[in-house]
Amino acid sequence: MNGALKRDVVAGALAGLVAGTISGWAILAQGLTATAASFIGVAPSGGGFAVHLAVSAFIGGSFGAVFRYSPYGSAASLTGGILYGLLWWIIGSLTLIPLVQGRPPAWSIDAAGAALPNLVAQLLYGAITGGLFSVLVSQYLRRTPAPAAVPHDREPLTRVVILGGGFGGISAAQRLDQIYARDRSVETTLISHSNYLLFTPMLAEVAASGLEAQHISAPVRAALARVRFLKADVETIDPAAQVVRLRASAGSAAETVPYDHLILALGSVPNFYGLPGLEAHSFTLKTLADATALRNHVIGMLEAADGEPDPAQRRAQLTFVVAGGGFAGTEMVAELSDLVRGILRYYPNIGRDEPRFILVHSGERILPEISPQLADYALSKLTARGIEFLLKTRVAGATAETVSFTDGGGIPTRTLVWTAGNQPHPLLGPLPCEKNRVGAVIDAPSLQVKGLANVWAVGDCAEIPDAYTDRPCPPTAQHALRQGTAVADNVSVVLRGAAPVPFKFRTVGVLVALGRRTAVAEIRGWKFSGFLAWFIWRTVYLARLPGFEKKLRVALDWTLDLFFPRDIVLMAPSAAPTLSQTIGAPVPAPTPSPVGEPVGDQP
Amino acid sequence: MSVWFRGAIAGLIGGLASGLALLHAGALPQTGWLPLADWEYSGLVLHVAGGAVLGLGFALLMSRQREGAGETFFWGVTYGSLWWFIGPLTLIPLTLLGFIAWDVHSAQEAFPSFVGYLVYGAVAGLVLAALRGDFRWFPAAFGYGFLVRGMLAGLTGVWLVGREHVGLTIGILGGLGLSVLYPRPLPGTGPGLIRGMVYGFFVWAIAALTVTPLMDGRGLAWSAEGAQAAFTALPAYLLFGAAAGVIYQWLDALGRLLFSDTPASEEDEGPGTEGLRALGRGALAGLAGGALFTGVMVGLGSLEAAAGLIGSRSLVTGAVVQFVIAELIGASYGLLFRRQSYDIGSALGWGLSYGFFWWVLGPLTLVPVLQGAPPQWTVAAAGQLFPSLIGLLAYGAGLGIVYHLLEARHSPWWIPRTRIEAARVSRHIDQLLTSAPALWALVITIALTLPIVLSGQPR
Repeated sequence: MNGALKRDVVAGALAGLVAGTISGWAILAQGLTATAASFIGVAPSGGGFAVHLAVSAFIGGSFGAVFRYSPYGSAASLTGGILYGLLWWIIGSLTLIPLVQGRPPAWSIDAAGAALPNLVAQLLYGAITGGLFSVLVSQYLRRTPAPAAVPHDREPLTRVVILGGGFGGISAAQRLDQIYARDRSVETTLISHSNYLLFTPMLAEVAASGLEAQHISAPVRAALARVRFLKADVETIDPAAQVVRLRASAGSAAETVPYDHLILALGSVPNFYGLPGLEAHSFTLKTLADATALRNHVIGMLEAADGEPDPAQRRAQLTFVVAGGGFAGTEMVAELSDLVRGILRYYPNIGRDEPRFILVHSGERILPEISPQLADYALSKLTARGIEFLLKTRVAGATAETVSFTDGGGIPTRTLVWTAGNQPHPLLGPLPCEKNRVGAVIDAPSLQVKGLANVWAVGDCAEIPDAYTDRPCPPTAQHALRQGTAVADNVSVVLRGAAPVPFKFRTVGVLVALGRRTAVAEIRGWKFSGFLAWFIWRTVYLARLPGFEKKLRVALDWTLDLFFPRDIVLMAPSAAPTLSQTIGAPVPAPTPSPVGEPVGDQP
Repeated sequence: MSVWFRGAIAGLIGGLASGLALLHAGALPQTGWLPLADWEYSGLVLHVAGGAVLGLGFALLMSRQREGAGETFFWGVTYGSLWWFIGPLTLIPLTLLGFIAWDVHSAQEAFPSFVGYLVYGAVAGLVLAALRGDFRWFPAAFGYGFLVRGMLAGLTGVWLVGREHVGLTIGILGGLGLSVLYPRPLPGTGPGLIRGMVYGFFVWAIAALTVTPLMDGRGLAWSAEGAQAAFTALPAYLLFGAAAGVIYQWLDALGRLLFSDTPASEEDEGPGTEGLRALGRGALAGLAGGALFTGVMVGLGSLEAAAGLIGSRSLVTGAVVQFVIAELIGASYGLLFRRQSYDIGSALGWGLSYGFFWWVLGPLTLVPVLQGAPPQWTVAAAGQLFPSLIGLLAYGAGLGIVYHLLEARHSPWWIPRTRIEAARVSRHIDQLLTSAPALWALVITIALTLPIVLSGQPR
């Protein structure tokens, strides 16, 4: 019980005692009928009176606890007391006391009428208690001024900092938000370089114009009520000094944020393995900008090919290569195929069999994360749609015009999507702790980073032992979400002084979208395919979108999308003509796309 | 003008008004032991003097309350009714006769002074408001549209309740009075409903107990018998007041929506998200309150009556019907009273008041009407339905508390994070406070006292 509550309870008890003396004397000593006394439940004698006083003090104390002191005036306190006193008349005289004495509750009008003296007594008791309570506390405060409870002057006792605004970071922040909603001694801060949560599993559909960007992004600030949010780029993590250094934007000053507990949810970045030309000439699928750029590029290729006379150029423009046969790559190639074939009818000069879609994978079969039957099913479905698969092939390098493989072969293409490698965020590199082969920090089962005190890690940037298999947890969204919640629970447990709980999560299922509103899914051993699987896939992600309003809007949009075609608006950033340019003068070209060709025609 | 002086003047005028009426009703206390006992106005002088003294206390209590004609009015009415319990029931019989008069019979005998004290409180409140400058809006800078809105609200209230119960003139004048008290209604539809209901009670006291009998030449109907006879109109006035209060609020909001560009509140995220969340929480709270209520009804054996509402007779159907009704009322509570309670006390206050409102609307009015009978508005019926009043009060209390706890869990808006938020929160609480505590106390006092006092058989 904190000090203010104690003070209110004591003042209320004192006030109740005084009021109880007066009301008890009025009932018991003023010659009212025995019936009235029976409604207090005590005999009008010394011992009974003492009991009555004790009960009055108790009710007064509870009044102080419930109504609390506020400096808004004694009038409110007085009327609050009347309300409370009458409430106790109902609870006590009408209900509890008859029950205790073996009679039915006195709720009928006649029984209540017999208890009217007690009503008046309770009303006056309540009024006196309320008024006296307010006077007592205000007098007490005048003698011993309490420290001003201005929130921002008090330093929070504990700081929890979360780095990264992906699934892991946001779910940890939401859980901490909930746990510490009314506790101001713990302050949580989320630091991310973007102010929205992105549903990365659905980026492929954005790139294929099957979804709008706002369907899969949710603003962070709207999802968090009390957690502080900082949009900034983290520069270094200093576990020795327990601070994080960051910069709000490229030009601004560096800031230092101290922490008592640090949660790393930085995710992963594309890994190009040092292969020549990949970083410059391929598309990745990590951010909304990536997806939009890819989409614009693909539509731009169609626009260019529509009027291109040179057949070699056309072939290169209409060949789309995706590297990496995991979830992202397979979904991407399927979606690309859907997109191009779906809008081909707007481009009369491009033949139906001219566009080529090629998936390059270094392993024996695509989709190694799911069972062989489903992978084969996916392979057969996609092959039937005309997608080519180059298995057991590794990419060696890329230029603006071609992709080359380790076995010496190559494909002329203007579009290469790279999904074949992910590495944990480079910020983890300098951390003085054990890391695995790809650079992820190694976690204990409680999600604490091994070797660093008060540092936790979740999601793609950490290697977390799976309680049910021998391998580490797969880097999926469902795992990151549960890890985020678990790490928040563990942090709060540790702050309370207890031992953290090991993370346990059995994979619910895996879903791969295959374009054309079909998917393959494996949920706890049950296999689905086709439209049903795609519908489940969409519904699961819809349920995960934060906020009812967002869910409703996206559900309406998706329902409409079932009936209407995709959008082919080309939203390329092109330089708008300015006054300084004269008619006929060459317009400065925009920033070139990764394959080195300006998108769209210039005026 | 100092606080004491204002209070004394207000109390004086209030005492004069109520004293004259009480004199006319022959209900002023005997002053046999005073020197000027045989002067016929000695009782009046005593009453007026007492009123002035009480007015000092009233002004002191009001010194830190929010300004506003309506606020002071409701505080005055509550203050007056509180002093009825202290004065004519306790202190006056104690000093004059040597014992406390708290039983039903004495309360019935003292009933005229109850109405008198109400009038005292109302007049003192209005005078104090005028002296404090709470009627500063006249002449109004923002037009007289609010008067039209008040009249419209009154008209609609009369239409809803039925012209045979609340006369057209009374309805219009009542609506006008409401708009005069609240030229700018306070935000919050739920509090507006409760405020209107209490205002309706006061209009009943003036219209049905005072003006109408006077105009009919019967004298003031302030005695217990007169009030018993006029009790049939009381639920109608309560519902009229509640309806007028809500409609006045809506008309004001509509006017602002269509004609002005000031937003209602910057705190709102929009009726879409906030409203749905409030509905959900209210429905959940309704479950909890419904459990309490069903417990009461089981104890009373009235589940068949609930089942009878939809024509069935099984107990299980009765319980289900109870729960459904509890859910619906709970959801409506969420919509009407969201963000209106900042601690358990305020939650209790609004919940209990809302429970009483639903007792008037439910068992007294809708239940018989839905079964094809006229509404049960007599004293005898109210007395018979007193147990369900207890039940609905319990339900309201449970509803209020659980809803508050749900709000506390997810969005405790009254706990500020920063100093800026603290200022916002204190502004909001300040706005909430107004005359709300007075309303709560008055509603519960009247809800419990009036049926009991008026139901007793006069000896």
